[in-house]
Amino acid sequence: MIIEISHFLSILATGLFFLVGYFSIFTPSSNSNYLSSLITRTYSQGFFFLFFSFLIYVWLAITDNFNVAYIANHSNTALPTFYKITSIWSAHEGSMFLWIVFLSLWGFIFNIRVNNNEILKPKSMGIISFILVGFLVFLLATSNPFVTILPIPPLNGADINPVLQDPALAIHPPTLYLGYVGFVIPFACAIAFLLHGDSEINWEALVKKWSVSAWVFLTIGITLGSWWAYYELGWGGYWFWDPVENVALMPWLAATAFIHSLGVSIKSSQLRIWTILLSILVFSLSLFGAFIVRSGIIDSVHSFANDPDRGLYLLGFIGLIVFTSVFLFVWRLSSIKSSSVIKKFSKQSFISINNILFGTLIFSVMLGVTYPLIYEFLFDQKISVGAPFYNAIFIPVVVLASIFLFFSVDSKWSRSINFEFFTAPIFLSAALSLALTFFVMQFFNTQSISILASIFAGSLIIFRYIYEIINFLFKKKYVNPFSVIAHMSLGLLLVSISFNSLLSTERALSIDINSMEEYKDLKIFFEDIGVENNSNYDSIQASFLVEDQNGRAFNLKPEKRRYFTRGQITTETAIHVTALRDIYITIGDQLDDGSWVVNVQINYLIRWIWFSALLMGFAGIILVFSKRVKA
Amino acid sequence: MNPIRKRRVYSILFVLLFSVSGISLILYSLNSNLDYFFTPTELKDRNIPSEKRIKVGGMVLSGSVERASSTISFTITDYENSVKVVYEGIVPDLFKEDSGVVVLGILRNKTIYAEEVLAKHDENYMPPNIEMNNDN
Repeated sequence: MIIEISHFLSILATGLFFLVGYFSIFTPSSNSNYLSSLITRTYSQGFFFLFFSFLIYVWLAITDNFNVAYIANHSNTALPTFYKITSIWSAHEGSMFLWIVFLSLWGFIFNIRVNNNEILKPKSMGIISFILVGFLVFLLATSNPFVTILPIPPLNGADINPVLQDPALAIHPPTLYLGYVGFVIPFACAIAFLLHGDSEINWEALVKKWSVSAWVFLTIGITLGSWWAYYELGWGGYWFWDPVENVALMPWLAATAFIHSLGVSIKSSQLRIWTILLSILVFSLSLFGAFIVRSGIIDSVHSFANDPDRGLYLLGFIGLIVFTSVFLFVWRLSSIKSSSVIKKFSKQSFISINNILFGTLIFSVMLGVTYPLIYEFLFDQKISVGAPFYNAIFIPVVVLASIFLFFSVDSKWSRSINFEFFTAPIFLSAALSLALTFFVMQFFNTQSISILASIFAGSLIIFRYIYEIINFLFKKKYVNPFSVIAHMSLGLLLVSISFNSLLSTERALSIDINSMEEYKDLKIFFEDIGVENNSNYDSIQASFLVEDQNGRAFNLKPEKRRYFTRGQITTETAIHVTALRDIYITIGDQLDDGSWVVNVQINYLIRWIWFSALLMGFAGIILVFSKRVKA
Repeated sequence: MNPIRKRRVYSILFVLLFSVSGISLILYSLNSNLDYFFTPTELKDRNIPSEKRIKVGGMVLSGSVERASSTISFTITDYENSVKVVYEGIVPDLFKEDSGVVVLGILRNKTIYAEEVLAKHDENYMPPNIEMNNDN
């Protein structure tokens, strides 16, 4: 009964959202007070129905209601409550459900935070509602999480995939989803702006904080995913250009370009056309991500649902959204007033150039994701695009973008730079960065252009902003904390990634029990190996005593686990974390002579990579809560 | 042509030139960094230059796995033809005999020297092209 209530509530919500969409977009006088307050109230009711439906679903999962097929297939009585809840988003139907609830949540917060007098509000709510209807119909028709097993439910349920029984994974997908769907707000406002067709409306200022909030979630979500793959999947690195990583990176790049473009549009009503186009692009790429992951057309760790119907529906729906918005955009193009002249070497010009570079990166990733599909279709030959391609594009483009960023710090809005432009801060940071780059070249004896260029570019940004911070501290010169922190984290990210690829090494060793192997400066002593029994898995646990060159010793205990319900084997890595490097050990198989294969990685500055990414997200949080920026 | 129109034509030409050269650079780097995917049969039929990075997928032939120190060698088969693989490192958890595997490496003397061995995180995963052969 309770399952049906939950199911019914979400159907009811679909109906209400449809009404909101219909009345706000197809009623001519949607700006009358009565109608806009009706729209607001109806949307809120729809949201509460949907949210309540989801809460009931969570309750069903907690109480092991295996009448629900989805819960029976993905949860288990033996699981701790926490993982019973997270099992909801461990597979297709549940994650889609959560995705839609988050979408409606953003709409709801927008609904209550934005005043009814805001001219764009009714139509924006309508667009959000129509998107919700599209996805709810998708959920209920092709991937219904409420399907029941009657009359006799299974006793214990299946199990959540063990690699997903992990705290990072419990929060990684929700954070990422919040980021993806958050861009519905700028998208809806941009479309509402186009529908109104009044160029005077300043939709850009309305969506600034919303866009940055979504960007923060996306940034943190991607970082958490990278960290999870590192220690839980045992991938041993921070980025693998896996299709699913790529489809998260594309909206992030587009969103970053969008936020920059938005800044220019708000400041000087330039790049307005770009900004609208980017808002459409960001949201389309977020939806494209959902399509790639859900349709299973690309092999990846994440492709858990291979169902052509779902893929087709999603593709159709996304196509409809993209087509409609591009059509609207072209139709209204001439009526959007945007001051077109951008002065050479002004701040706007640097931002424009970097927007083009961002576009290049997005295009390249898109190509890398889709080219194998096209190629196979045309030539019946399977191919894959790996890290070398992405490195070949990303390194030069990012280095170039960093240099433009460096010059943009001193440039002025709407004014060209002149001779006085080349002052102490520029020379000083360039000299320091060159010195650092030469030092790295000599000390680490490397000739790699890409690494040296990235270190140079990264340190250029860092030094330049350190100068800004000093100016702020001693001369009270105003700095924008968001910009300073976000850009410094980019510099730090570049430097960390460079050192990571310069210094990190890995090696597979075979070690006997009670014997010692040396790798680099490490002495690795294999103490013991034993079998342990746990409630839902058996594990082989090895114990190593590792000593580094300073004589510091520590224990590392990597494991191999076999989970009972699925018979799945997983590797548990053992990581020793220090400020500069991680020592990362996994065990493989036992050889015939009794020794064990052990993989040792020394990963330099890998924590700094995640730290920089989180710092970037933190910068966004500062902007969202800053009082200087009007919401 | 009046000067404004002339300037507009130039700027359009400039943008076109710029984007065409950009796109061709990207496509060029894409083409030189592709990994082609083969089954053992295709590997035999086609002439593949050595030292080129390729991907080979198939099933691990049962009884073919040999380990020595930290190197592992095994045979990938599509039940018609086979190819030997040598790899140094730890194979993934889901790697086992009679199950699907994809390796990335270079072909030298009819042996693949792998730099990466992948088994899907899905227990039902089959490398492409093998599925059909198995059904028969």
